[in-house]
Order: sequence, then structure tokens, then C-alpha cells
Amino acid sequence: MRIDPFLESLCNEGGFAIGEIIVSSLDVGSFELRHHLDEAVQPDDLEAYTNAADARSVSMYGESGEYRFAKAQTNLKRGWRLKLTDLTSLRQALDLFYPAGVALELARREGRLETQNLRDKLNRQTGMYRFARTISDEGAQKLVREICGPAHQCARKILWQLDQDTPLEDSEASRYDGIPCSTHKDRAIPLLCREACNHFVAETRKAAKAEFEKQQTADHSAG
Amino acid sequence: MSFEPKPHSALLIVGHGSTENPDSSTPYFEHAEEIRNRALFAEVHCCFWKEEPSMREALYMIDSDEVYIVPDFISEGYFTQDVIPREFQLDGPTSSVMGKTLHYCLPVGVHRSMTGLILRRAREIAPDVSPAETTLIITGHGTGLNQNSTKAIRDQVDLIAASDAGFAHVTDAYMEEQPFIAEWDKLAPTQHVIVVPFFISDGLHSYQDIPVLLGIEPEVGAAASQREVFRHNPHHLRGKTLYYSSAIGTERHIADVILDQVRDFDRTHLSHVS
Repeated sequence: MRIDPFLESLCNEGGFAIGEIIVSSLDVGSFELRHHLDEAVQPDDLEAYTNAADARSVSMYGESGEYRFAKAQTNLKRGWRLKLTDLTSLRQALDLFYPAGVALELARREGRLETQNLRDKLNRQTGMYRFARTISDEGAQKLVREICGPAHQCARKILWQLDQDTPLEDSEASRYDGIPCSTHKDRAIPLLCREACNHFVAETRKAAKAEFEKQQTADHSAG
Repeated sequence: MSFEPKPHSALLIVGHGSTENPDSSTPYFEHAEEIRNRALFAEVHCCFWKEEPSMREALYMIDSDEVYIVPDFISEGYFTQDVIPREFQLDGPTSSVMGKTLHYCLPVGVHRSMTGLILRRAREIAPDVSPAETTLIITGHGTGLNQNSTKAIRDQVDLIAASDAGFAHVTDAYMEEQPFIAEWDKLAPTQHVIVVPFFISDGLHSYQDIPVLLGIEPEVGAAASQREVFRHNPHHLRGKTLYYSSAIGTERHIADVILDQVRDFDRTHLSHVS
């Protein structure tokens, strides 16, 4: 299935949730997006936007003014509503709020979503990130617990393992379903993590370096 | 030059992006919007190395079977020759990946039409200055790791010096290799100096690092979008009159250069197709 009809079917079913946003169908062919915690707020109390491109400015900074380079961060600001009058604009806006979010879920439902395990991801790093591949399994499992999941503001459902034979250890992060909007879990598009993100790789590099230095110190003391 | 619409193809613009500076990806979205508004492709999308969507995620966003990938990068180098082909799993100019036909175009910065954009930008920021009394400095990052990263700039210097633009002197300068942009006053034999950063976005380098190297700012400032007051030309520094432009990639006409690269790809690789 192509993305437009998939999106249309989601809207025809009465709307849906993705990340921290709820999408509602208004009149025929028009839609409204708002933060799920603003669902009951009167429209006049929300700042109104009407262009798909506004999704970028609305989602650029979090509630505290921090830059949201990871779009699945659960710090989307509240107080706005975005009305769009066609499906193309809706698709464009959603790809600005949650890039490829709808498309990845469609691919998953159709069984064509390819995931990449952490070891494969790290082994294809070059340049300064090459060192990240030296991380121990124990160190990588710890990073998942310390970086991923809603406790660390990431709303993605992790689909990868350490490698083919090593699943992630059970934790809130590894169990998370990718749906931060708890009131609409029955009609939600989960945010999917098909491979470790750049932030995770950067943190892995730091942790790998720390492991290396700790080992060197230990060897030095023993010698 | 007009562009033959491709109503069954997608355009995918690849940018670097940043996890620290929100201005870094702004030009890519603006270039995409400009092209989208012209209704030349079935779809126009952006993807990034440091932001989302990643290159691998981006292919899922595209319905079209044929995709033109244009690196919105300033030079050929590590990213365009190593990272992007690896991430998209390309095996040549045209590759078949995930059931799609991917055409990999050259980066915008190496296209010959960039020369006109640099000259236009120079005229815009210093409209009352005679080129005959002015040095034009095109500045980039520079790195000892890859000679290609400075080639695009050196090519532009040669093209402009050989053109009828009439500048007294045209030179390149870099942040991290000779000739250094920090010594701009020594590189310029004239009173007036125009500096055009050969970067795509007003990110860390062109809006924060280089102004310090030029002496415009005492220390690295906030991101461009977070400033209330933008810089004003000219700057009277080191006994000279300095005009500093925003990054060349923020020029709206980069959208035309992206289309130029698609057209050139077809001419070079698909010329057998009528």
C-alpha cells in the first residue's frame, strides 16, 4: 500500500495518535493536529497554524526552549493547533513532526521494515565514530537503559537487538511500545526505532572510550 | 533554463544537519519547499546525516519508484563519496534498492552555476563597492584529510578570476588549512573585502566560528535564529572595510542548482532515454 491511502484510511477511522500528537478529521478532507494533552482545550485558547511547514517551527524547540534534534523526544510543546486542508499537507506536516513515522509503521505492518542490530550499526561507522564498535555487550545494555525509553524522553519502540543472538535485556526502555499518548493506544501509530540513532552511537563512543581508559588504568595498576 | 517535470519521480535532498544547531537544516527545507511549489516532482523530501529522517528511513517515506538523490553538500568528499553511498547502499550512478531505482546526482556545490550565485551574493551585500577596488574571498572549512573538500572552492576562485566580474583579487581561505581566513586582511591587497562562506547553512561555522576568526565577534555567539540583532555590513576592521555574507547555501536559487544537477544526471547517465 502507498502512504497516502494508508494515511487516508487512518483518518477515515476517526483520526489517530502519533507520538504526542492527535490527528482528528474535521470536515471532508480537512484535519486538525494538536498536542494530545491539549485535546480538551478550547480552540480559541490554542495558537492557530494553517501551513504544513509550521510543523517544523512548532516542533523545533521543547517546552523549556531546548533544541529537539531527535523528533521522538517527549517534550513537544503544547498550546497550538494546526489545521490542514488536504492529505498532502497532512503527510508533509507529520513528516516534519515525526519524520517517516507513518511510513515506518506501514512498512512494519506489511512485513517489509528492515531493522539493523546494534553491532551491525556500530561496525559500519567510520571516522571518529569507529571506536564505538569496541563497546562491551554489558556497556551497550547499560546504555539502552540510560538513554532510551520514555524515562529519557524518547518515545520510540526499539526493534533492534545487540546482535542476532543477543536481545536487549528487559527494561522499561526495551519494553516500551512507542505510544506516549496513553489515552489513544487503540488507534495509535507507534514510533519505531529500526536502528540505533546518532545520539545513541555518539554516547556509545563516549562509553567505549571510558571502558578503554578504565581498562588501561587497571592494566597499569596491575603492572 | 526550464526543467522538464518528472511527475512520476521523487526528489530526495540529502543534508548534513546538526544535533546542536537548528539553523543547520533550515536551507534544505527551504530548497525543498521552493521545488515542491513548482510541482516538478511527485514528491520532494529531505533527509539527513545528523537529523531525522535518516537516509535509510527516508526511502520508506517515498511512494515513487524512481528517486533522484541530490546531496545538498558544498563539495565532493567524505560525505558524498563514502557516507551517502554507504547509507543508501548505492553501487553506481543508478542503483536498485528496496525495489526503487535510485539516481545519485552530484552535490550542488560542484555545479558550474554556483559561480553566478556567488557573484550575485557579493553584489547584494556590497552594492556600492567597485569590484576593481575589492578582494573577493570565498571561504570554507578545509581539512587536510580530503583534498576534494577544497576543490569546489578553488574551482570557483579560478572561474571568477577568469570571468569579467572585475574583482581586483579573488582568493580562497579556510578555517583549518592555509590560506587561513583568520588572516583575511593579509590576503586582501585592497581596501574593500567581501567574504562569502561556501557552506550550505548558517550553522556553527559560517555564523559562529568564522565571525570570530574575522574579528567581527569577540567570541562564538548564539545560533543565527536565536539572535535578535543580525550583523550589519560593512565592518571596519584591521584598517579595511569588510563585507560578510551569509552562507551561499542559504541562497534561494540553490533550488535551481539542485534541479540543474538532476538535469545533468539525466544528460550524463540517461541520455539514451528519449
